[in-house]
This record gives sequence, C-alpha cells and structure tokens, in this order.
Amino acid sequence: MNDFLIGVFLATLIIALFTTRLYRLLFWYSFNSFTLGLLALSIGEDLNDNALLISGGLTLVIKALIIPYVLKHITQKSKLERSIRPRIKIHNAIMLVPAILVFTFYLTEPITNQISNHANYVAISITALFLALLLMIEHKVVMARIVGFLVLENSLFLLGTTATNGMPMLVELGILFDLMMAIVVINLLLRNERITA
Amino acid sequence: MSFIIFLPAILLFLMSFKKIHQNKKIFPLVTLSLVAPALWMFSIGLPYHLWDDYLVIDKLGFYVFVISSIVSIGVSLSLLTIHKHVNITQKGERRFYRFFALFWIGLILATLSNNMGIYWIGLEFATLSTVYMIKINDSSTAHKEAWNYMLVGAVGISLILFGIILIYASAKPILGEDAIYFDALLKSANHIHSPFLFELGFAITTLGLFIKMGFFPMNLWLANIERAAFYPVAALFSGILESVLIIGFFRFSQIAMSVNYSHIFTYIFIYMMLTIFIVSFLIYRAKDFIRLFTLSGIEHMALIILFWVSGGKFAALLHFAAHAFLKPALFLSTGVLESQGKYHTQGTLRGYIDKKGKLFAFIVSFFILAIISLPPSPMFFSELYGFSAMIHVAKTGEHPIIIIVSIFFLLLLLSVIFYRFILLYQAMNYEGVDEKKEVDRMEVLVCVLFAMALVSLGTPWVLTFIQGVAS
Repeated sequence: MNDFLIGVFLATLIIALFTTRLYRLLFWYSFNSFTLGLLALSIGEDLNDNALLISGGLTLVIKALIIPYVLKHITQKSKLERSIRPRIKIHNAIMLVPAILVFTFYLTEPITNQISNHANYVAISITALFLALLLMIEHKVVMARIVGFLVLENSLFLLGTTATNGMPMLVELGILFDLMMAIVVINLLLRNERITA
Repeated sequence: MSFIIFLPAILLFLMSFKKIHQNKKIFPLVTLSLVAPALWMFSIGLPYHLWDDYLVIDKLGFYVFVISSIVSIGVSLSLLTIHKHVNITQKGERRFYRFFALFWIGLILATLSNNMGIYWIGLEFATLSTVYMIKINDSSTAHKEAWNYMLVGAVGISLILFGIILIYASAKPILGEDAIYFDALLKSANHIHSPFLFELGFAITTLGLFIKMGFFPMNLWLANIERAAFYPVAALFSGILESVLIIGFFRFSQIAMSVNYSHIFTYIFIYMMLTIFIVSFLIYRAKDFIRLFTLSGIEHMALIILFWVSGGKFAALLHFAAHAFLKPALFLSTGVLESQGKYHTQGTLRGYIDKKGKLFAFIVSFFILAIISLPPSPMFFSELYGFSAMIHVAKTGEHPIIIIVSIFFLLLLLSVIFYRFILLYQAMNYEGVDEKKEVDRMEVLVCVLFAMALVSLGTPWVLTFIQGVAS
C-alpha cells in the first residue's frame, strides 16, 4: 500500500510539471497532498504512532482541501492569469524529468545507505524536492510558483516522515501553522492586484 | 511565564487593528514595550527554562535578544518621523506595526529556541511577516521585490528544514526524539550515529541560511529588497532578521564543529572567501547608500561566520553586535539623508548648520568610518581578534600556507571595500553644493542611541560579558 501511495505521490508531481492550466495544477497539488496524507496515516498505523496519524489527518484536511480551495478562491478574486505555460517546453521537460529522477537516485545513494527504514522513500522525497524546485523555476506566473513552494513543503513532509519516522508533533503542527500563515500573506500580497511576474 | 515574554508583541498586534487618529505617537510608544522582556532577563539566572526544554534563555540567546531589543528601540523612535520622508498612509503604518509584532514573536521563538524545529518555525514566522512589510511601500518595485523575497525566502527556508530533517535523522537512533534539541545534540556530538548524514544536513541548513543572508551566489536579492522597502524595514532586516539567522548558524555550527572540525572549517572558509570576493567588487560598483550598506552587511556577516568557525568566538560576537547597531543606524539615517535628494551621495552631509544638524552629520560620519573598522570602532578590535584566531588555526592546521595566503587575499579584498567607503565619506562631506537642511530632534536621538550602544561595546563590563558568552 505504501509503495503504491508513494508512486502516486511522485506521479501527481510529474503530471503537475506538465500542466498548463492553473486550476489543473491546483487539482494535482490537492491530489499530491491527499496521497501524502494517506501515506502518513498508513506509516503512522504501521508504527502505531499517534502523532503521525494526527499529522496525516491534518494534511488531508488542510493541504488537500483547505489550501487548494483558498488558492482557487484567491485566483478568482484577484482575476489571475490561468494559463500557465512553463518556460521549459514540454518535449524538453519529458527528457529532463526522468534525467532528474535517475540523477537524484544516484546522488542520494550515500544518504539512503545511512537510512535503515524506507531508504527508497527517502530517495523519492529528495527527487520530489528537486522536481518541486523545477516547478518553481519553470513558471513565470506567481501562483504556479506558489504551488511549487507548497509541493516543496510536501516533499519535506514526506522526507521528515520517511527518514525520521515523523518529526516531533509540536514541530509538525508549527510547520502547518506557518503554512497557513504563508497562505494569509499570499492572499494579502495578491489583494487588489493582478500579478503575472 | 513564557506567555509574558510574548505579551508586548501581542498587545501591539491587537492595537494595530484599532484606528487611533488622536495620537500617532501611541504605536511607537507601545513598540517600545517590546524591550520589557529583555529588561526582565537581566534579573534572572541563566540558563532559564522558559518553556520546558523548548525555549531556554541561555547566554547566547540573551545576548542576541538584548541587541535586537536595542535595535527595536531605534526603529520604534524612527517611526515617529517616517511620514516626513516617505509617503506612508495611516493604514500602511498600522500594517507595519501589525507585522512588526508578528515578526517579534518569530524573533523570540527563533532566538530563545533550544529546539531545531521551533527555531525553524520562528524563522519562517519572522520571514513571512517581513514579506508584507516590504509591500507597505506602495510602489510596483516594492510589490515585485516582496514576491521575490517570498519565493527566494521560501527556497532558503525549505533548505533549512531539509537540513534539519537530515540532522534529526542522523542523531535519532541514539537520542530518540531528543535529537531535535540543540543542547542534547551538542552533548552527544561525538556519538552521532551517522556523521556523514549530520554533515550533509549541516551543509544544507547553512546553505539555506546563507541564501537568506545574501551570500554567494545570491548576493543581490537582499540589496534589491532593502532598496525597495521603506528604510525602517531595511533596518529591521539588517539589524534583527540577520541576528535570527546568525544565532541559528552559531547553534548549528557549535554542534558541527564537535562532529568534524576540519570538514566544517574548510567548507565555511571556501564559502566565505567566495562571498567576500564577489561582494567586495559589488561594493566597488555600488552607487547608492542602501545597496552599499546592504552589501557591506553581507561582508560583515561573512566575517562573523569566518571568525566564529576559526575559534574567534569573542571576535565574532563583538563584530556581530557592532554590525547589528551600525547597519540599522545607517539605514535609518539614510532615510533622512535621502529625503533631501534621492540617490545623491555628493554633499549629503553638508548644509546642516544648526546644532542638531551638526551633531547628526557628525554621528553619521562616525558610523560610516566605524563600519570600515577605523579605530576606535569595535569592528577594528573584533577584526584584530578574528584575524589572530585565523592565524592560530593556520599555525595548528594541516595547510598553514594556504590559509595565510588566503588571509592576505582577504585583507586585499577588505581594502577594496575600505577604499570605496572612504570615497563615499569624502563625497558626502566635501563634494556637492551647500543646501540648508534640517533634521528632526527624534532623528538625532535615534543616532545618539545607536552611537551610545556602539561606544558601550568598548566598555570593560560589556567586553567581560561578551567573553562570558563566548566561553
């Protein structure tokens, strides 16, 4: 089950990289967060870790539902550009993304050798980190870059869950709180303006 | 008890929602109450556990917090006259205070945290609150820079979290959940399960911190942001936000130096040399005050880090305090100078003919000369101690020739910066035309406050205290 979920997590991220419409990007972010939440719940259940179960539940509610909804609302309110053509052309990205995947797996080998549990998951989360950075770089539109940042945060959550079997509960809650504050600040920045660069 | 320390910031935050037309001075006065926790800290024994092991006031945290509090007094007082120099609406002013209060909460969390996770949360909180402060300047450049800051800051902060996760993962097998605490990590640094993972985590964390400090290769983003924001915001960035970053570096590096000193020293030494190399030439080319001071701030931060990892902790802490007082002082006085003619450096210190004006011009000259470490500036002494610490490392290390040559190269780069600032000083004092200028009493008071703070760094009591923090 965990292998399937992590596969879906990576797949949704790759699809997000090829997306050219903002709402679809938000959908894939939501789906990415949904699989992440399920994965945290699944690992939490395996380890019998209540903190991880709570974090997983909150991820499902906040990242998979509330944040995409709020971002969609902000997009509509601020009348933001919804066409988000990536700077890197899709036929180039098709070659670049697998190259990043292979390169990262090779690059992270010394790290994964040090991790006893979920070594492959750690490699995937670091790959996701690079792909999220690519998502931030390849778009000119601010909202797409913000989604890139949120996916980056998802990758870090996955890394924290897999490399350490979950960060302490207080830290997880703090990170979620900061994420909510980031959304508030983004909303304030976008208020009454239409920014594409 | 932990609640009390947040009380002034919460009070300021709540008050910022109220429209107070009658008395504009009320907000700066409430902002002054942010200093109250620092005063309280003088009366307690250190280390003091504010909230279990999560928030602990140790000597280093206390030192950084007191310095930040002094800077906050200067920033608060400067806000009394901000409307004379920039176009700021009352709504914008209230928003500034709202986010300043949030920023202060982030500062408390990051400065006093004994927990890597809470440090990160505080840093993120402080970063996010400053994003909106930039946008208070209602210009398209400021809006663009606010977004840039949001995104670059997000990358930096994500790298820091990435590194923290790796550090935590490296120590969790021996420390369990206590691997998140700085003090537990420091005690068990020699027994860390996977030193490679720890060092990698440290390298990534510091990379995130360096991006936020404006180090190589991200040298210009900070200068652009401070140029676009109002001058008190630039002062906050250079005087307080950088303190939050540097205390993180101090805490992480203390552990890393216990794990493998030579690796950390080599990594930091090369990185800082690269940064100072680039920054010295950027300073040489810089045309306006804010960019010059920002880039000089980056150079100072690089020197502080270099001194710290060379074992010159006293030098690093002294340099840090001098930097924290000088940079906001210069940014705040620049706000006054620029309102007389933006971007003009020639003759900006001429034309102050009354007593207040003469005192103001004298203190600003003192700041500019102090920033390039002319004696008796505290920076002169901190550099002396810092370079002697580096020479000591060269003598005891494996590659003395390389380090000694690098030190000479570093001095050459610092002389480029020195030359540029002397030119600036001469242009401000001896070029341009005499135009009658006036300065507000409060602006002089702000300069006097920072000058007194700077002079106090040379007093035996303060020097002994800094030695106590360094030991």
